[in-house]
Amino acid sequence: MSAFFDMGGYAAYVWPAYAVTFAVIVLNIVWARQLLRRARKEALHRLAIGGLDK
Amino acid sequence: MAWTWFHRLASPPHVYRVAGRLTPWLAWPAGALIVAGLIGGLILAPPDYQQGEGYRILYVHAPTAWMSLMVYTTMAVAAAIGLIWRMKVAHAAAAACAPIGASFTFAALVTGSLWGAPMWGTYWQWDPRLTSELILLFLYLGYMGLRSAFDDVQRADRVSAVLAIVGVINVPIIHYSVIWWNSLHQAPSVMTLGKPTMPPSMLVPLLMMLLGFTLLFGALLLVRLRGEVLSRERTATWIREALAP
Repeated sequence: MSAFFDMGGYAAYVWPAYAVTFAVIVLNIVWARQLLRRARKEALHRLAIGGLDK
Repeated sequence: MAWTWFHRLASPPHVYRVAGRLTPWLAWPAGALIVAGLIGGLILAPPDYQQGEGYRILYVHAPTAWMSLMVYTTMAVAAAIGLIWRMKVAHAAAAACAPIGASFTFAALVTGSLWGAPMWGTYWQWDPRLTSELILLFLYLGYMGLRSAFDDVQRADRVSAVLAIVGVINVPIIHYSVIWWNSLHQAPSVMTLGKPTMPPSMLVPLLMMLLGFTLLFGALLLVRLRGEVLSRERTATWIREALAP
């Protein structure tokens, strides 16, 4: 098991590369959902204050 | 008759509804493929005869680099469709692409740098492949910066579309840079004509990662597209319909 984490001596390069990639994936999921949630809230707000086309 | 699908494609309520329904069908296979690719790439694939275990960075570097180019191409095509046919939904799709592309380009640069350090002896080199990939990051950031400089979404759409289209020239430059110039970066080992230069035990996890990341992009794009479409919409009826509980 420790041999796996050691990555043949390349641990200091391999694991940070995986960490950055998966951080980017998680952030993208969070950002995308945030964007949609915010757009929904703003659309509801526009509805509430009126002034939209029929 | 043949064009009805095109008009439906351009209709915001239709896009909003279909994108919502389609998202899980891309997201779950993406997750499954990435997990399988991880197991295959980190555990099952044999070490490389030259680079030992260090080559396993390939399984995150190649997919992120592929994303950086594929997302940009998608963005430029969407921007062109938006500009030519004045299609709001296409502009919305282009805007949705940019942050995804920028973040994966960043990941491609970082993972490449972490791979270069032990193999080339340097984190960075002003090499054609590396430099053109860095320019790609600046193109994405420039596109996003340009958009945020306009209060009017429709003007932002039109002006930023021109930048997206002009910048697409960088995509073939990145792809062929390792062939045209004497680059430190290795030549492609999957997309070469004829046989790939890897055994299946190494290649299959890589293909799983590439497909998984592509589907992930699809899912992220659909979620963002819904948000972008909604924020461009000024018609009360469909917002009420779309957001009805």
